[in-house]
Amino acid sequence: MFEIILILISPIIGGLIYGVERVVKARMQNRVGPPILQPFYDMFKLLDKQPIMINSGHIIFALMHFITLWVVVAMIILGQSILYIIFIHLLASIFLVLAGFSVNSVYSHVGSNRELLAIVAYEPILILIAIGFYIVNGSFEINMIVQNDISLFSMLFLFLAFLLIIPIKLKKSPFDAVEAHQEIVGGVEVEFSGVFFEILYMAKWIEYVFIYALIFLFVGNNILLGTILSLLIFLLLNLVDNSTARIRIDNLVKITLGLGLALSIVNLVWLSYV
Amino acid sequence: MFNFKKYRKKSPWILHYNAGSCNGCDIEILSCLSPKYDLERFGVINTGNPKQSDIMLVTGPVTYRSRERLVELYTQMPEPKVIIAVGSCANTGGVFRGMYNVEDGIDRYIPVDVYIPGCASSPELIIDGVVKALEILESKTKEIEKPKKLYKDETIENGIVDKTQMAQKVKDDK
Amino acid sequence: MSSFIIAIDILLLLYFVSQGVKSKNRLVIFFALIQLVLYFIVLSLDFFTFSDNFLLDKVSFFMLLVVNIVGLIIILYATTYIQDEKFSKSKKINFILILFFFLAVMNLTVSTNNLEIFFLGFELTTLCSYLLIRYRGDTLSQKNALQALWMNQIGGVAILISLIVSIIYYDTVYLDILLKSTDGTFLLPIVFLILAAFVKGASIPFHPWLLGAMVAPTPVSAILHSATMVKLAPYLILKLSPAFSPTLSVLVMLFGSFVFMGASILALGKDYFKEILGLSTVALLALMMAIAAIGTPEAIDICLILIVFHAISKALLFLQAGILEKVFHLKYLQDINYLVNNSKLVVFFIIIGFGSLTLPPFGAFIGKFNSIELIASLIGQNILYLFSLVFILLGSVCLTLLYFKVLTKLLATKNQNSQKQTDIGLVYKFTSWSLVLLLIIGTYICFEFAFLTIDQIIVPSFLIIVTLILFYTSSFKYAHRVKEYNCGEKDELSLSAYYFDIDNKYKKLILIVSIILICLIILGGF
Repeated sequence: MFEIILILISPIIGGLIYGVERVVKARMQNRVGPPILQPFYDMFKLLDKQPIMINSGHIIFALMHFITLWVVVAMIILGQSILYIIFIHLLASIFLVLAGFSVNSVYSHVGSNRELLAIVAYEPILILIAIGFYIVNGSFEINMIVQNDISLFSMLFLFLAFLLIIPIKLKKSPFDAVEAHQEIVGGVEVEFSGVFFEILYMAKWIEYVFIYALIFLFVGNNILLGTILSLLIFLLLNLVDNSTARIRIDNLVKITLGLGLALSIVNLVWLSYV
Repeated sequence: MFNFKKYRKKSPWILHYNAGSCNGCDIEILSCLSPKYDLERFGVINTGNPKQSDIMLVTGPVTYRSRERLVELYTQMPEPKVIIAVGSCANTGGVFRGMYNVEDGIDRYIPVDVYIPGCASSPELIIDGVVKALEILESKTKEIEKPKKLYKDETIENGIVDKTQMAQKVKDDK
Repeated sequence: MSSFIIAIDILLLLYFVSQGVKSKNRLVIFFALIQLVLYFIVLSLDFFTFSDNFLLDKVSFFMLLVVNIVGLIIILYATTYIQDEKFSKSKKINFILILFFFLAVMNLTVSTNNLEIFFLGFELTTLCSYLLIRYRGDTLSQKNALQALWMNQIGGVAILISLIVSIIYYDTVYLDILLKSTDGTFLLPIVFLILAAFVKGASIPFHPWLLGAMVAPTPVSAILHSATMVKLAPYLILKLSPAFSPTLSVLVMLFGSFVFMGASILALGKDYFKEILGLSTVALLALMMAIAAIGTPEAIDICLILIVFHAISKALLFLQAGILEKVFHLKYLQDINYLVNNSKLVVFFIIIGFGSLTLPPFGAFIGKFNSIELIASLIGQNILYLFSLVFILLGSVCLTLLYFKVLTKLLATKNQNSQKQTDIGLVYKFTSWSLVLLLIIGTYICFEFAFLTIDQIIVPSFLIIVTLILFYTSSFKYAHRVKEYNCGEKDELSLSAYYFDIDNKYKKLILIVSIILICLIILGGF
């Protein structure tokens, strides 16, 4: 029962995280920043605009992207196999890529191709992290993983590799070439407007919930430590976002895959043989 | 039911377009978003995309090359929308009024809601103008607003309104 | 009966020699003569341990299912396809006859236990491949057919060497006795059969013959070079895997996963649609061989799932390539523009074809998913499993990039008013829909055999069905239609797909590492 409520309000939790993040980033820049409920004001304003669109395939793929991401978060809360969840997340990203390809707009296509390259960058590392969980806990099921003790210290390098790919998923500097706002006007989001843009906006909130849920997995059954770790990672991410520039997409793939794979392989060798 | 209209005031997203200006007013607009004047505390985001913005801040007297693009961007914005003319060049042509290379101000092409004077307008004036525009935005409806020149009416085929051919090139205009 | 087989073999090899002499191709003559010499050596040796000539186990059963069902659908498609070619009626009938003959040969080859009959079947499939690649008769087809011929003959040479060693050391030509008598120390016959499998499956460095074979008519590419003949490679490895020593198993697995990654990366720079499909076939065959080399019962099941579903998905994709060629006259990816305006059905089939190879809940995904779980459980035994897992992950994500970047130019619509859709004809529609139906039935059967749990199948199937329903029912009447954002410009745009070409030095590196691994495998037999 508690899980069903948590699943239903997960976009709202994501929206609150996003709102707090805008305030934290503003305070770091010595500004005041918008109110914390600003994402919800944005949502209501977007619902009130005249709907405009280009073709219906474009909208349907975006809608399925949002629904699939919500299903991914639901599966994490219900405790399914983490490896399978990563592949359903791949399905969600593919829906977004197909949405980007459905319109005749240059920015949209560049954004979709960059999203495919980002999938090349983060997916192997996510699967190696899942295998790390398997080796430490003996099972892929999240039900089992959250009942065991903290596994952060035995999976330290894998956690560092995970930190390396979080900016790609949450579209933060230095790895936000996928949605490079000033360069390709938002990438895939460029042709969405009004209530349809709201769908992609909420999908971004659910990504936040997805990433922070994965951080909670690293600490097992210790919820207090998980909260502290999430807060620290939150502050670190926003600090890095405010202070770094954007890296080109090919350097993104090389740095993330190169460094991430090296860290993951070292950690997995250590886990299996030590 | 639920009053959506009051949320239009709380989250205005801006599209900033330079129709041939000297960049003075543009610099003042960008400094509004900087930490000293901080427009983001009103929820303002500078989106570069007409489809996702409510307010269009236009600077500059309209030059020949920018007038088609001005109308095109105007037609791609969804209703309800407000247009703010920033600086004396966008209001009436400013110091360039009557010259051969500019049209005198943007209100020959698109309907303007708020005029902000100044050469260049100061950030406090711009913030005052944006706040006034938000009050006008709250009372607007969603009917289609048309530009004044270089446009064709929207077409309707099997119940679907089609606005793709609304903005015209200069040589196609009668 | 055996003298009949000997006669056909010798006639076949003499035919190969004659083809080599006619086109003055030294490699063909060289390999055919070596095969003749080795074959006479085999005939002169005697062996005394006998067993059944034909033996059907689970692996043969699945191969027979794939060959006959998918092959039949493709031959049905070929009857309409070949009508459009500019040849005489008797030549068109010849085409269909050779295809049926090929199905018969495949049925023979996958049900036999006798290595001499297997050699006959192997060479007959080479013959069919040669005849069908040079069907169109132009110079490029003949050149590529001869290349396919001499490369496949290397496989024939390997089988004959393996036969000789097997008769001398183990005193038998029967496969089941061979597998029982090798005790993991002297595996030379097994190793040469593995080499024959690599040749037939077009692994790197033998992949040029498969890429050159794409000039053949598309039903040939579909049936020979993706669905049935090249599946002899994982079939052989599956049959041989109970006899692998642990070192050999790890080596074959490393080789398979490395070729999986290498072929996926090589495919990223290609423009010819069938070459993209061909290189992805090479990659997935190498993956099947890698999994088959593990040898546990779960690995055998996973490899069989991959064989069946890869055959169906690739056949569907090649059928669409043929439809693009015949109805829309498109061969290269850069010429395909806004296909969704002309035919939504073909775009739907292409998306389903590519999606069924990478996305849940389809069969090839189930194979990859279970193989990752399997290898994860084996990492503790040998550190090299981790490296082959990394290769598999990189290769699988490169294949995802490859498949979906192809869709760039297919999905965008150009005009707001929908143009009239081209009808592709009843036979093409029926064959494509029947393959999609096979995919759905296959997914249900996978659930019955508990490869995925019920909610793991239901969730993505539900999502895909909802997408299709939304496409058919919703029309969004209340939304206005506008143009795309182009900074206010009114210019015409033309789109292009991304191509990723790697340096020549990396291509050479992939080739060199593959050759080193093959040499290591051969040495591992001693």
